[in-house]
Amino acid sequence: MPRPERKLITFSIDGREVEAPANMMLVDAAKFGDVEIPVFCYEPKLGAPVGACRMCLVDIEGIPKLQTGCSTPVKDGMVVHTQTRRVKDAQQSVVEFLLINHPLDCPVCDKGGECPLQDVSFGWGGGMTRFVEPKRHFKKPLELSPLIAIDRERCILCYRCVRFSQELSEDYQLVLHERSAATFVGTFDGHPYVAPFSGNILELCPVGALTSMPYRFRARPWDIENAGSVCTLCPAQCNVAFTVRDDRVLRVLARENEEVDDGWLCDKGRFAYQSIHAEERVVAPMVREDGVLREVTWERALEAAKAALGGAQGRIAGLAGGETTNEEGFLLQRLVRDVHGSPHVDSGAGLDRSGLLALGDPGLQATVADLEFAHTVLVLGTEPVDDAPILDLRLRKGVRRNRVKLAVATSRPSSLDPNATLAVRYAPGAEAAFVTALSAAFYGGAVDEPAQAAGADAGAVHELATLLRTSGGDQPGDVVVLYGQRVLAEGEAVTAPLLKLAGALGLSGRPGAGLLGVPTATNGRGLREAGVLPDAGPGLTAVPSAGHGATGIAEATAAGELSVLYLLHTDPLRDEPQRAVWERALEAATHVIAHAGFLTETIREHATVVFPAESYAEKEGTLVHPDGRLQRLRPAIGRPAGVRAAWQVLDELARSAGAEHGVHTVHSATQQLFAAVAFYAGLSVDAIGAKGVRWWEDDARAAAWPQESGLRAAISDLVAKTPLSRTPDYEEAPTPSGLGAADGATNGALRLGTYQSIWAAAEVEASPALKFLHPHQRVELSPADAARLGIEHGEHVTVGSAGATVEAVAHLRNESPAGSAFLQSGIPEDAANVLQGPLVEIRKATPK
Amino acid sequence: MDWTPEDDQLVVVRGPKPGGAGGAYRIFGETLRGLKTTFARAVEGHHTIAYPEEKVPVYPRWRGRHRLHRFEDTGLEKCVGCSLCAAACPADCIRVVAAENTPEHRVSAGERYASVYEINLSRCIFCGYCEVACPFDAITMGNDYELSDYHRSDLIFTKEMLLAEPLERSPIRAEGE
Amino acid sequence: MSSAILFKDIDEPGLGTLAVYQRRGGYGDVLRKGLSMPREALVNELVESGLRGRGGAGFSMGKKASFMPKGGMDKYLVCNADESEPGTFKDRELMTKSPHMLIEGMILAAYAAGATKSFIYIRGEYAQQADILDAAVAEAYADGLLGENILGFDFSLELVVHRGAGAYICGEETGLLDSLEGKRGNPRLKPPFPANQGLYQGPTLINNVETLMTIPHILGMGAAKYAEIGVENSTGTKLISVSGHVKRPGNYEIELGMSAREIIYGLCGGIEGDHEVKLWFPGGSSSPVLTSDDLDLGYDFDSLAKAGSMLGSGAIIVVDDQTSVVEVCLKLAKFYRHESCGKCTPCREGTQWTVKMLERMKSGTATPMDLDIMASVQEQITGHCLCVLGDAMAMPVGSMIAKFRPEFEEYIEAARERAERELVASLDAGLVGSAT
Repeated sequence: MPRPERKLITFSIDGREVEAPANMMLVDAAKFGDVEIPVFCYEPKLGAPVGACRMCLVDIEGIPKLQTGCSTPVKDGMVVHTQTRRVKDAQQSVVEFLLINHPLDCPVCDKGGECPLQDVSFGWGGGMTRFVEPKRHFKKPLELSPLIAIDRERCILCYRCVRFSQELSEDYQLVLHERSAATFVGTFDGHPYVAPFSGNILELCPVGALTSMPYRFRARPWDIENAGSVCTLCPAQCNVAFTVRDDRVLRVLARENEEVDDGWLCDKGRFAYQSIHAEERVVAPMVREDGVLREVTWERALEAAKAALGGAQGRIAGLAGGETTNEEGFLLQRLVRDVHGSPHVDSGAGLDRSGLLALGDPGLQATVADLEFAHTVLVLGTEPVDDAPILDLRLRKGVRRNRVKLAVATSRPSSLDPNATLAVRYAPGAEAAFVTALSAAFYGGAVDEPAQAAGADAGAVHELATLLRTSGGDQPGDVVVLYGQRVLAEGEAVTAPLLKLAGALGLSGRPGAGLLGVPTATNGRGLREAGVLPDAGPGLTAVPSAGHGATGIAEATAAGELSVLYLLHTDPLRDEPQRAVWERALEAATHVIAHAGFLTETIREHATVVFPAESYAEKEGTLVHPDGRLQRLRPAIGRPAGVRAAWQVLDELARSAGAEHGVHTVHSATQQLFAAVAFYAGLSVDAIGAKGVRWWEDDARAAAWPQESGLRAAISDLVAKTPLSRTPDYEEAPTPSGLGAADGATNGALRLGTYQSIWAAAEVEASPALKFLHPHQRVELSPADAARLGIEHGEHVTVGSAGATVEAVAHLRNESPAGSAFLQSGIPEDAANVLQGPLVEIRKATPK
Repeated sequence: MDWTPEDDQLVVVRGPKPGGAGGAYRIFGETLRGLKTTFARAVEGHHTIAYPEEKVPVYPRWRGRHRLHRFEDTGLEKCVGCSLCAAACPADCIRVVAAENTPEHRVSAGERYASVYEINLSRCIFCGYCEVACPFDAITMGNDYELSDYHRSDLIFTKEMLLAEPLERSPIRAEGE
Repeated sequence: MSSAILFKDIDEPGLGTLAVYQRRGGYGDVLRKGLSMPREALVNELVESGLRGRGGAGFSMGKKASFMPKGGMDKYLVCNADESEPGTFKDRELMTKSPHMLIEGMILAAYAAGATKSFIYIRGEYAQQADILDAAVAEAYADGLLGENILGFDFSLELVVHRGAGAYICGEETGLLDSLEGKRGNPRLKPPFPANQGLYQGPTLINNVETLMTIPHILGMGAAKYAEIGVENSTGTKLISVSGHVKRPGNYEIELGMSAREIIYGLCGGIEGDHEVKLWFPGGSSSPVLTSDDLDLGYDFDSLAKAGSMLGSGAIIVVDDQTSVVEVCLKLAKFYRHESCGKCTPCREGTQWTVKMLERMKSGTATPMDLDIMASVQEQITGHCLCVLGDAMAMPVGSMIAKFRPEFEEYIEAARERAERELVASLDAGLVGSAT
């Protein structure tokens, strides 16, 4: 639903005339008159107020009883008193009631010093107690989960955590047990509260009942400093505040930015900071000598890198990973492309320049906040909770509060299905056919054929089209299409129908509607715009000769055409979809220069020069959010001795090759980037500030988006109401022979789909608190397929294709579509990228 | 418009001119007047004491080196590592790092204890705010004032040093002394 | 009894069956007349009758029905049969003996409110009554009295009997709705009122069993005639449940306005053992207590309100002068502590604190100052809670302290002396300090 209009009204509070938006809750409206009304249970982020704590009682003229300020919308002409004897008495009595069972152990409580109960008791309490009876007792402290400690004696039963679990993250795990004074918070069956967003209840708790296990007793509020930055662990790029003590990050808090994260954080973002101070982190440069990586001085490491790059005669390739900042990416592409004259540089965009230009067109962009206020949101081929977790909360909020109609079209069953008005499935890898079918449904083209090729139900495709078409009543309303980057794997075969769809829905130039692509890499969008692409330079300008993309680089290296690989914050064996060819490439490369924080398998086995990478709390630079918002990374702590910034290294290498670019600080790199990218013109780090700037919202910058001759026309052509003539070829793949038919155990093939869990990240593995969540390979099957294959839930199986196999545990899901099997990628062992689809065979693992 | 200076005119007051009888008095008379005080004190005897052999007794509420305390019955430390002393300290010379008690390793009576408790006595201004802030009477100001050392780093007192009985105790002034 | 309306045929054998009920005129002309009237006329009829809710709040039933919004959304009718107020047992008798009267009343009420789905939320302890209702609903469905096009009229109604799990708070209308939705039975914040956003966010009319059962009778005799019964602002008859120290406890149907003395000494035959009345609860355990001085009050909504109490659910609990007021108070407070849902602070903590203080009085460790604290705690609860459960304890406890303060003080003193004596005796007996 579109954003509600706000109009101002005037009301009187404590004798002052105050203007506030109509229907705002009194507690918030009072702030316009500099009046603070104390609250515990009220938290606007949690939705409708519950009025449970009774702390916010105020006197409204004309109403005999005191009213809760948190649930009373302000009306024109309302006369409110918060300073009368009656209100004061009520406030004091509520504080007295709250404190009769609250232990006064503030000195040992982690919340002490940043505790709303302390503040409210001090500000509005009576200052003394008349309660002499014994207090309520519970066993304490208990682990609510390995991440959260619960102290039920301190709980004031404000309902915030329970409401978060029930109404925000909708994991429905936290409930209240018992009743009256014996009420306590817990999970229904006593299992640990493990959920992707569980950590948010730590920030919600207004007392010290819920405290963080990793932060337990680490510091008091006056020992610490908060440093605002951005989390780089996934493309959602939530704004965070690092809690720093003694130059160590001890905690991560959400830094509310309505346009990005809405004030929430996922548990990965909240707890993976521990990887910054992990023992296994690389903190000194290394060079391979006699087959072994040894720590060396910076001079030697730089010498080794210079020699490798200088001796390659341009046969080098650069690859940037997701955590690379815009500046680092910009310097990398300049080093590889301009200094060493090699066009082979990529950041895994997976799409050619014209496709990126078409989908990235400023007129087609939707924002994160649009997800909440659109009429309809189509989630296409992405699982938000895994790919950009915080968007999952935003989508749920939209559906629950603003009645956004949610349509989910994915191959793997989505956790958003229960919230969706319509959920459509297609076969994994059949995105092109599916989008074609959907687009055809709009233009009256042939739907059945591509739908069948996509393994989707043609009726469901029509239904989806109808839903999108009628979302705003008779005509298409504001529609946001949230698509994952893996949808675009087939290039033009997907982008063309997707653009047609956008045209049919009138997304172009429509505020509140558009496309929102979730890249696989954190800074995927920024790296593209900074020119870390084989066929485009900074600002997506055309380059004279296009180089190889990531997979092409691997093939060329394996074939001996390229000899030096420059890996900037990336681990191709883990991040790239085709592991086998990358293994060959890394073997064949004469030199592999890597910037890495951890000695992963790739680095340990293949790197010849390793530069220690900064962690995201140490880095400075800019990132681009998937919706085009430039955000600043600011250093919260100093780098460990022995670590240098990547931009310094890249510039040093460029300078040693004779290129003097004048990069003396990271800001000079930023300025050069902004100068080189036409549509960043006029931006500065100050303008980006704490909350970021969406570059395309400025008309002049949006107009600077490169227009390939004829592309605009091509888009208009696509939008024209002609049925799509071309359906992508979708041939049945040959029967796989991975397991060998001879042994008689082969049970038939399934289509392989992959997904990357939120917990599949090196930072999670390196964080002691999160280790327990680190995923192991499992294959998701439908019960029907499992029954056919004779596999039971939890059984160890071998999944194979074309000679390669991975070990996995069978995981039966009722929602899983028959004929497909889903494996995880991004994990260090037995990852899905070992296999080459599209079909795999599954059989029981041979007992060891 | 003309301006006539009135009461706010400056009057320059000059000092006495050198020389003459007035000058002679100022040289000798005033000096002798000062020396009178000196000689009057000289007959009182000496006021210095032979420190360190002899020490000045301090008042019982003299704020000297801090001390941390244990419970006499259980031997557990009173300090729970709440860091309130550090918050109260105007010189920012206290550093507390807390840790959690476990049943196997119990240091204090509460849930947490101070695993690190350091006072940088070269910075301390002996204001006693830490003592006031402490909710458990775990830290008090002792009477010792002999705190000199050869290295600055030696003036960072650790928890063990603060818990231990001081080696040399300053004499305390008896009542009425 | 001439004034009997609801109880007219109540002891007819087999009234619970459809056949007998129909023979007695049930599901007949009255229902046809109701369903053939325009909705607004039916609501008007209810407004004119002056029928006030019989569950406790005493809000005009007709007005409540008229608050239901017009429009095509799903609307609901819920019958509150969670008769959980201590001292109240009138609905149990009604539902046991005449379930069809309730169904008929609900059909009419649903028609008036425009509801097409209705529920009877019955407390879990009423298993027998729930079985009876289940059987009656099945009979009604089989006979076409529920379901599609009732009696051939263009009106359909679904009726579901839902059993609660025995929580007092589920008798509060919004708590009942949450419980009915399958959630924890906690009261909701009002507004929005159920008439706007109730069950499953739809407009919902919630009424007590007795209120709903009265509707066919109002329609039968005409609103004007019904309004003549009783006194101004308290029209009609009321079922009262009398319990406590009376000779003949039970359910009685009275014309509103009858004096309390007449009820206690007339209908109920006086106090057991011919003792005196010390105090009485006029409307269930949550109404402020009245004393023997108030026995001549007329038993109607306004007179009781004027005397500082309320008619509530019409449950009179009589306590004689042989009973300690502190014990009554403790019993009452314990009940409310147990039944507080725990959602809002004053009720959750206040009930618990009150019990702890009363227990201390009993054990002899309290002082008269605790009485002041207890009285002030009751004041701190009253009017500050999310629903009325907190007030339901604070008002009677507060009124007991106000009216029987000397007795409380004597009790505290006596308990303290007793405790001291016991301590001394145990010391003498060597039970304490036996190690020496």
